[in-house]
Amino acid sequence: MSWKIWSLKKSPWVFHVNVGACNNCDIEIVNCLTPKFDVERFGIKLVGSPRHADALLVTGVGTRQAVPRLKEVYRQTSKPCVVFLIGACPCGTGIFHNGYHVEGPVDKIIKEEDPNAIIAYVPGCPPKPEAIISGVVKALSAI
Amino acid sequence: MNREELQNRLQEIKNKVTAVEQTTDNRIYLPCEAQNAYAVSKFLFQDLACRFVIATCVDSDDCFEVLYHFSYDQLGVVITVKAFIRDRENPAIESITSFLPAAEWIEREMHDIMGIDFRNHPNLRRLILADDWPDGVYPERKQART
Repeated sequence: MSWKIWSLKKSPWVFHVNVGACNNCDIEIVNCLTPKFDVERFGIKLVGSPRHADALLVTGVGTRQAVPRLKEVYRQTSKPCVVFLIGACPCGTGIFHNGYHVEGPVDKIIKEEDPNAIIAYVPGCPPKPEAIISGVVKALSAI
Repeated sequence: MNREELQNRLQEIKNKVTAVEQTTDNRIYLPCEAQNAYAVSKFLFQDLACRFVIATCVDSDDCFEVLYHFSYDQLGVVITVKAFIRDRENPAIESITSFLPAAEWIEREMHDIMGIDFRNHPNLRRLILADDWPDGVYPERKQART
């Protein structure tokens, strides 16, 4: 295991990107950080800049307006990074499939930017905080 | 004002509307032509002191319908002004923002996705479509969806 991966898994700092979510998944992400679940005890910390982040938490379907911004955020994230797709929308566009403003699913957008991106999927509408934490644990044990 | 009195007040504008349709106890439709919608809405808002709820737009087969929904809260009655815009090539209607600034954003949204031109709107800029969305493409029109 390279030291980069080791340090990534030690304490993943996350940056939250909303690309057209209804806010429900965002609320569940915030819920993970509140005292009941408190993911900071695992070293998972929400940071304010993608340059400080090891992982991106992407919510939302990937709208036309958000696509260049998401790619820019991904480019600025320090590599290696993990992209977590939180919710049914980024995983497979969900009920917004074929909408006129939908460019998603988000994994397609990320792969256009970087074909070797590490992408983890947490489906659900919205996923429970337990599911998000479980997804993070599974993704970090897989890499 | 009770329901009967409300019906009587609505008779004051009966030359501007094609009908006063009461479908249920608490739902009244006022179908009218596009050029009369401004006056009818103004009457509801200023003379009857109705509350503006929302405006919606429908792409019907032969026309566009712009629907202004007002609520008469004392009776719990929702009154809808249904304006028919017959010109499908250049659909236009008088904006109601001059006396009802709250309608500004919903009219901008309808302009975005249906291509209705709201005359005398103070700020008819793009609201919800992406910055790179092509001009003249209106995604919620039936033509665009097929």
